[in-house]
Amino acid sequence: MDPTISVSKGCFVYKNGATRAGKKAAGKRKRPAAGSSSLLGQEVVEQPFYAEYRRAWSQLNQHIADLQQRSYARTLEQLVDFVVRQGQREARDEVLPTAALLTGINQPDHLSQFTALTQRLHSQRSARVCVLQSRDCATLKAAVESLVFGLIENEDADEEDADDDDGEEDVADRDRKAAASLTRTQLVVILPDFECFAASVLQDLILILSAHCVALPFVLVLGVATAMTAVHGTLPYHVSSKIRLRVFQTQAAPTGLNEVLDKVLLSPKYAFHLSGKTFKFLTHIFLYYDFSIHGFIQGFKYCLMEHFFAGNAFALCTDYSKALARIKQLTHEDMETIRRLPSFRPYVEQINDCKRIIAVLTDDDYLKKKLPQLLRDCLLHFLLFRSSLEFLTELVGDLPRCPLGKLRRELYVNCLNKAVVTTPEYKECVQMLSFLSKDEFVAKVSRCLDRTEQFLADEIASLELGEACTAVLQPQLETIRKSVDDVVNASMATVKSPNQERAPTADHLTAVASRQELKEQLLQRSKEDKSRHQQNTPTTQFARALQKTLQLIESLLVQDHLRPLHDAPPIHELFVFSDIATVRRNIIGAPRAALHTALNNPHFYMQCKCCELQDQAQLVGSLPDLSVVYKLHLECGRMINLFDWLQAFRSVVSGGDNEDGNQEQIDPQIQARFTRAVAELQFLGYIKMSKRKTDHATRLTW
Amino acid sequence: MESICSSMEKLFPCREAAIGILGELIGDSKEAYPSAIYLFGHSGTGKTALTRAFLKECGRKQNVRTAHLNAIECYTTKIMLEILLDSLAPGQGDALKADNMLDFVEQLHQWHGAPGAESQGFLIAVDNAERLRDMDANVLPVLLRLQQLTSLNLCVILLSQLPFEKFYNKTGLSEVISLHLAQYNKAETQRILGSDFAQVRSQLLEQFAQDTKRLEICQEAVTEEFYNNYLNLFLSVFYKACRDVPELQLTARKCLSIYLEPVLDGTVEATDISRLWRHIAGPLRSALTQIYMRIEKPPEETEDFAAIEDQSVRKLAQSLELPYYAKFLLIAAFLASHNAANQDKRLFVKHHGKQRKRMQMVNARAKTTEKMSTTLGPKSFSIDRLLAIFYAILEEKVGLTCNLLSQISTLVHLKLLSFVSGEQNIMDGSARLQCTIGLEFVMQIGKVVGFNVRQYLCDFM
Repeated sequence: MDPTISVSKGCFVYKNGATRAGKKAAGKRKRPAAGSSSLLGQEVVEQPFYAEYRRAWSQLNQHIADLQQRSYARTLEQLVDFVVRQGQREARDEVLPTAALLTGINQPDHLSQFTALTQRLHSQRSARVCVLQSRDCATLKAAVESLVFGLIENEDADEEDADDDDGEEDVADRDRKAAASLTRTQLVVILPDFECFAASVLQDLILILSAHCVALPFVLVLGVATAMTAVHGTLPYHVSSKIRLRVFQTQAAPTGLNEVLDKVLLSPKYAFHLSGKTFKFLTHIFLYYDFSIHGFIQGFKYCLMEHFFAGNAFALCTDYSKALARIKQLTHEDMETIRRLPSFRPYVEQINDCKRIIAVLTDDDYLKKKLPQLLRDCLLHFLLFRSSLEFLTELVGDLPRCPLGKLRRELYVNCLNKAVVTTPEYKECVQMLSFLSKDEFVAKVSRCLDRTEQFLADEIASLELGEACTAVLQPQLETIRKSVDDVVNASMATVKSPNQERAPTADHLTAVASRQELKEQLLQRSKEDKSRHQQNTPTTQFARALQKTLQLIESLLVQDHLRPLHDAPPIHELFVFSDIATVRRNIIGAPRAALHTALNNPHFYMQCKCCELQDQAQLVGSLPDLSVVYKLHLECGRMINLFDWLQAFRSVVSGGDNEDGNQEQIDPQIQARFTRAVAELQFLGYIKMSKRKTDHATRLTW
Repeated sequence: MESICSSMEKLFPCREAAIGILGELIGDSKEAYPSAIYLFGHSGTGKTALTRAFLKECGRKQNVRTAHLNAIECYTTKIMLEILLDSLAPGQGDALKADNMLDFVEQLHQWHGAPGAESQGFLIAVDNAERLRDMDANVLPVLLRLQQLTSLNLCVILLSQLPFEKFYNKTGLSEVISLHLAQYNKAETQRILGSDFAQVRSQLLEQFAQDTKRLEICQEAVTEEFYNNYLNLFLSVFYKACRDVPELQLTARKCLSIYLEPVLDGTVEATDISRLWRHIAGPLRSALTQIYMRIEKPPEETEDFAAIEDQSVRKLAQSLELPYYAKFLLIAAFLASHNAANQDKRLFVKHHGKQRKRMQMVNARAKTTEKMSTTLGPKSFSIDRLLAIFYAILEEKVGLTCNLLSQISTLVHLKLLSFVSGEQNIMDGSARLQCTIGLEFVMQIGKVVGFNVRQYLCDFM
């Protein structure tokens, strides 16, 4: 390191080529030369998997954006209508028209909604909009300044007049200017995060706005995260009597997510699928942690990237015809990737011809010939899966207590994770279904059939393999329909089964002699009833027909099509992303755990030779000082005696070779190292120096 | 002066006395004004409107220069001074600048020498004058002595809701003339509300312009007497709760359509007051709970509106959508706030050992309701304790991830938790939080996630 010429103590920054800023600049220079908008290099961008990823993501993203736009549209329409209508009525008194938008707790998500509102109002040229963030409004002065700046800035952008405003306008100036320049355009002030504003600033702001309401057409829009009580709790009477509130409700976040899941992620249009676990993981983050749709979509995008980045073989994860075209481009390595897929092995094992096995395993061209069929099977499987899922959702979605789950996404997860037929929940469902009355059952199953057919017609038919899918499914649905017709025609008459022959006691109940005898008979009858139930032989014609239908549904749809992932056709890994561990590691931050790993086992991150540990708790002198100090502090209680700590540190660092040396005299170098490490530990927040006992430090973590 | 007063009296019924006094004090610009007038009274008693109208009349008839400003806007003294200069000397553009009180007084003093200024009067009205106390220390004293300092015929009118005693400070203030605008009594309120009868009637007629049958009934039924009867009934419910005239006016107009409904349908005669009363009593009482809230009904979707109106805690807790863990964090925060820290072990650890009972303890435990911590209010707790309780009450195991920790700050943003101290040093664990929600609310949340909150509260053991 170069010496400094400064005499003062301190930390100096040396500018050399390795700084971050320098890198950035270099990157900027390079990028236009490469001629791509991506951060990645040319060699990555040109790979087929990347092209496929780009295509899939843009398609999905577009779809999601459209969907959200549509779901916002109604509220947005009402809100714009409200704002525009305020312009038409004349302001008589000092009452500020206010719209409260109940957004739900994840406010960063809803900023996009406010942006949409702003754009809409701008495009209609009916209002000037200023979005006031709470972080800009710590004081009234800051609030008014950013408000005026927002409105005036807008004006400049709109009318291109070169006002030399420096944002230092005061209220009076604003009044004059604004009043002069506009007559009936609304001045919309949006506070997207109402809860975060300081109450006093907000009250004053509202009072000011309402005082100017007569001269200037202000409209206030509040984004409220919790409920209207928050508004009334923040604003005292003398403020709230100055506004006129209109409440607008937006769609709840879970509903929004369900919509996105049903319409986009579970859409048969896309070849990419999430495995049950990953799917559950992402929805879990949403429902349990943050309610952020945006976060969910980003998580999903990460999965998509991770999936395609695994190699060019994954470029096959696309429409059937495109995949066929891609097969030719595959190299030997890509074919090896395919051969290494876990589901490829069962496929090889089920071939009983030795030569073919060798050909599949060694001959790329042979496998390429086989691939189209495999891909087709796979894609078809997913279509059938999805259609059957539709049937199952309708079938079990509204049963009491919803053992399998109510929503499509829950059923999807359940079906993908394990063979649903074997689960007790499924058995419970079947039992409940068999308890239904005739009318209910018939109505339900025909509803399921209708819905599945509808789904086939609407969503599947337009796809490439749609006809094939329909061809497979339609006859099965017909079979079920016939069976339902049987149920309709079935009578309630009891059918005598052979083992019921010896149940003649029914009429003989009256002929008992004693109470004892009656009791015995009753007991016997109840036992018989039970055994009959256990044998599961329905007594009436109707019940039999019903059982038959349920069995048909189970064998045709559930067992055949709703197979769990490990039972799916070969090479399904190309279409299903299931690497949950990577995703979890990368999208959920666990700072505490990471810090602990770093300090407890520095080798994990540094990959150096010196710090390799056999055992996590091992203490080696070659570890970094901070790490040694950390490990020693883990052994202590709440209060740590600094001197003892130092002694322990010394004995570890010096490796116990100068055991007999001067115990009292501590090498100043070691002491300095120790002091520094302790200071660093304090900086990391693990300990705190206590004032009461100056020679002790307090542990803060457990 | 008389003309000003008489024209004002028409606009402000029941304020004749106050107008008279004002007129005597500052009605004539030829005479010397008092240096300051302090006008006070509750909100909705007409202070601002009266002053504004008076200033306007004076400006029009006697060519007095006037300025009216709202002290809330003036977060710096400079803004106030410039607004004053702007409105006192119109047409001078941006040439007038005053950075501090001295400049301002200088500026005004120059006008004194100007030709034609001898007989010119100046009136300055400052709304929300209580805010002047928080401004620079010299603002209020200078405003009160402005006449003396500038040698102009100038009067400052201060408007506030507080009595002038609240303005006294250590250095003392010069005396002002106080003028109190008392609240209207019931008869006066009714007279004021009744004074806009013509407007209400024309509005109603306009509303039913398409519906000829209703229009006829309306024309016939809505008379001055009918309206006064209505106001009488209305005030019998509302006068106890609210005396703010604009608020009453607004609510009265809202409820009139409900009152009128049976008459328009032809079910009740317009003169049958007792039956009309029976009809209106319920809606009036429910409107009483909505007063000051100013929630406007959208023209359509009245059902939706009913849901918003129902502000019971149960509804609120159920409608508040929070992620699952956030709900548990909130419950944990509530428990941490309302249990003593030394009870935690007993509450949340499975094998907490046997507790010895002593007479002293039993007596201490026999709490009266005043001692219950749920009624005493929340205590503060550290984040460590919050997380420990969170993990104790949550059955499943979750990692301590960023997502989880960020939930705490989300809850703080939503004002369900609040920082008591140490907001700056969250890192060293000394930050303390407090839970701001009530028992009933948290019980509802507990019900949603299937957790019995009462079971874990020391108060209910």
